[in-house]
Order: sequence, then C-alpha cells, then structure tokens
Amino acid sequence: MKVIRKSTIFSFYLFAVFFIVLIGFPFFWQLLNSFKYERDIFSLTWFPSAYTLENYYKAFTVRPLHEYLGNSFIIATVSTLFALVIGSLSSYAIGKTPIKGKTPILLVVLSISLLPPIVIINPIYTIIRSLGLLNSYTGLILVNILFTLTIVIWFLTPYLSSIPVEIEEAAEIDGASPAQCFMKIIIPLLGPGVFTVGILAFIQAWNEYLFALVLNPITIKTVTVGLKMYEADNYMPWGTIMAASAIIVVPLITLVLLLQKRIIGGLMTGGMKE
Amino acid sequence: MKTLSRKQFGYLCLTPTILIFAIFGVYPVLRTILISMFRFRLQTGPTKTFIGLENYIRMFSDTRFFGALLFTLGFTILTVGCEVVLGLLFAQMMNLPIKGQGVLRVVVLIPWAIPTMVSGFMWKFMVHDQYGVFNQILMSTGLLDSFIPWLSQDGTARFILILSDIWKTAPYVSLLILAGLQTIPASLMEAAEIDGANALKRYFLITLPLLKPVLATAILFRIISSFKVFTVIVALTNGGPGYATESLTMYTMRTYFDAGNYGYGSALATFTLLLTCVIALFFTDVIKNKIDAGRRGTR
Repeated sequence: MKVIRKSTIFSFYLFAVFFIVLIGFPFFWQLLNSFKYERDIFSLTWFPSAYTLENYYKAFTVRPLHEYLGNSFIIATVSTLFALVIGSLSSYAIGKTPIKGKTPILLVVLSISLLPPIVIINPIYTIIRSLGLLNSYTGLILVNILFTLTIVIWFLTPYLSSIPVEIEEAAEIDGASPAQCFMKIIIPLLGPGVFTVGILAFIQAWNEYLFALVLNPITIKTVTVGLKMYEADNYMPWGTIMAASAIIVVPLITLVLLLQKRIIGGLMTGGMKE
Repeated sequence: MKTLSRKQFGYLCLTPTILIFAIFGVYPVLRTILISMFRFRLQTGPTKTFIGLENYIRMFSDTRFFGALLFTLGFTILTVGCEVVLGLLFAQMMNLPIKGQGVLRVVVLIPWAIPTMVSGFMWKFMVHDQYGVFNQILMSTGLLDSFIPWLSQDGTARFILILSDIWKTAPYVSLLILAGLQTIPASLMEAAEIDGANALKRYFLITLPLLKPVLATAILFRIISSFKVFTVIVALTNGGPGYATESLTMYTMRTYFDAGNYGYGSALATFTLLLTCVIALFFTDVIKNKIDAGRRGTR
C-alpha cells in the first residue's frame, strides 16, 4: 500500500475536526439551548450555571407534540410498509419477468421521482377531498406511497435484475409456480435490500412537509407541520421550539447511528433520495 | 385453478404500482396542464371558462413571478454549485486511507436525516438578530461591528437560505461522490504516478472523467430538488422580506391556497413542470443509464 505523508495525515485530522464542528454545531446548539432558561437564551450565555427541563414540559403541553409524533410515526410506517410490498412486487415484475413495456414503466418511475410536488398538489388535494380523506391518516399515506414507491422500485429493481435467473428456473422445473418462486426464493433474497430501502423511505416520509401541510392542516398534523405551530405572531418561544426539535430529531439520529452501515451502503449504491 | 405464466404474474405484480402512478401521478399532472388553460377561481365558484393561453400571457407581465423565478434559479445554481465543489473536496478527504474515516461518514448523515423544517428552525435561531449565536461569533472574531438582522434584508436572507441548504446537503453529496471515487481502481492512479503525472494532473485527467456518471446523476437530482425549494423558506423567512425569498413553489402555493386562483396557479405549476423537463433534457445520459440499470441489473 502507498505510504501516506505525515503532512497529509495532519491536514486530514485538521479537516476532520473542522468538518465535524461545522456539521455538528447547529445540532449541538439546538440541544444545548433546549435545556436553558429563557433568560440565558436571550442573554446568549453559552454555558449557564443552571439548566431546566421546562422547555421539554412546554413542548408537550403548549402543543400536543405526542400526537404529532404518533401521527408522523403511523403515516411514515404504514406508507413505508405499503411501498415495500407494492414496490418489491413491481421490481420483481420489471427485473425478473418477461413483461413488455419495461422501458416506459421505468421512465414513468423516474419521472415521478423527479416530479416537483407543486405540479400535482392541487389535483391531489381535490382527489383526497372528494374521497373525504382530508385530515385523515389514509389520505396522506396514499400520497406518501407515491413518492416512497419510486425510491423502493429504483433501489430494488437493479438488485433483482442481477440475481441469476437459473435459481428460479431450477425451482420451476420442480413444479413451482411464479407466485411460489416469488415467495420462496425472491423474498428471502430481498431481505437486506428491503430493510435498507425501508429506512430511506421512512426518513423521506417522516420529513415530508408540503403534502402534510395541504392535506392535514387541522387534525392528524405531522411533526413537520406541528413544529411550525409553536411560532406565535410576535413571540418565538425558542427554548420550547428547540426542545420540540430535539425530540423530533433525536430518535431519527439514533436510528441513523444504529443503522449507519446499511444507510451509507444504501445511499452509496444508488438510493437517490429526492 | 390454472397457474399463471411468468408473464401474467409479472403484469399482476405491476398492477398496484400502475394504479397508484395513474391516479396520484399521471392524472394530476394532466389535470394541472388542463386547468392552466381555464379561468377558474375559488371566489367565482365551480365555473371554469376556457381562455387558452391567457394565464401564460399574464405571467409575462407578472413581476412577482419573475422575482420568484430569478430567486429560484439563483438559489438552485448557487446551492448545487457549492455543494458539488465542496462535495468533491470532502469526498477526496474521506477517501484517504486514514484511521477515523468511519466517524466522518456517520457525521455526514446527521444533516441529511434531520427534517428540513427542523434544520430551518435551527438556522433561524442561530441567525436571530438579537440573540443569535451567529452574530455573537462574528462579532467576537471582529468580522462584524454590530448585530446584523440577517433575515430582514433581501441579500442576507437569501445568503442564509443558501448557506443552510449547503450545510444540509453538501455532506450528502460528498457521500455520493465518495461512492464514485471508490470504484476507481487504485492501480490506475499508481500507473499514472509512475508515468510522471502529478496529483493535480491525475485528478483532472483520471479522477474527474471517471467520476462523470456519478457527478451527472448527483447534479441532476440536486438541481431538481433545489428547484422545488419550499420547506426551508417556510421555516426561515416565509418568503420575506417582502417577496425577496419567495420561490416558484411558494408563489404557486400562495396563488392556489391563499388567493384561490386555481387557473393561474396551474399555469405556474405547469411552467415549473416545463422547466424541470428542460433541465432533465440536459441529462439524458443519466436517465438512460438509470433505466439500463433497472433493466440489466448493472448499477
């Protein structure tokens, strides 16, 4: 292996420290201030002598943060699960069966993943309203499936296409139907891929704002819509906002840290988000 | 019961996806394009009057539309440009075989995973005119004489929006580029070194050309994503001061849901769609590669 010069190593560590401070600072500042009394926030005291949990108490009492969290969790989880089931079926169809029109289908998938949501927001609002699904779980889940589905199909189709067809052929000679092949052979092979893309889809759905704002403005608010509710006209309760933000973000960061290997792998092998 | 052939089973598997795409994707796009040719307002009830391209003609004399368009284009060019340059730099550092790389790769994920709404509020707090830490740090280092009201001046408000987007996305771009760097065989670089090519030459003649497909993909997705900027603006400036940071998406949203003008809103949305298509046309290679990857199983 090539020998790396000492100066390179030194500048790398310098860079690393700089990089980590730059990226981590806003997150650190949010956490730190969420534990401060308001007077210390307003006087810009970095490390005050006293800390409080008051902001966290207020985050749940001024607004129903627990409801926002529950709503986001339900909507993100259900739409991810649906997208995974529907998406793996489609990826199988595109990647492994001799159907016609694969190119147009893939072109539509790509177009939808590139489509600016503003182009479809008004007709979608009309559809969801006429179905009586405004301010419900179902409406927002249906719309979230549209975008998470494209992530799933993009991720799983190349993965499935690269599985050699001989594996299934052997099973078919033994008399297995295509459905049995899918259940017995493809699903076990999909396991790790489904898990990785599931995380990516979940994060996408959890962070979604535009449709959540338009479809669920009154009840079943998600965290991204709810966070904006803490703002008052002439007063910003910064401590409470930072506490609420921390509660929204900490589970997500924990998830990311626990599953970092898979997420990095997923992102690097072409799981293009947004 | 007769068992399905592989082909029939394939079509069956595809049905739910096609239904969802048709109802929530294709139909709404067509409907928006159609409505853009009608006079259709909330205030005048459900009556729609066909007016051809009148809504589009109106756009040409709408200064607020041009303001939003220019801001959106500027935002897109500056964010994507900076993110790619920084991404290339970060990725190069992250590709060095030195201990501690794992930490960097995890840190990179933090801004990516934070919802845009949340990171928007984090930045809004940091750049607050009276108790923002940004002002405090800049003053204590002597770069500023007095606190700046960052979000109440046109230029600085735009600057902060761009900065916050770069903070959130450059690390993610660097991860994508790193993936590309790792596919470049080390033997290639060693051979070039033996032939006497210096580091700069190796970078521009070997690394960058080999990175081209990865870069093009990242740039396409980043441009499209920057172009639809909305959430971060809602969190930070709400389009202000005045309309200085109003993006196309935000202006369209307000035309739809605040002004209740569905006809004109649809024309604005269709314009966004057209521009997106034009952008995509510059990246037909990427689109072709992506589709081939789906068909043949090569990434």
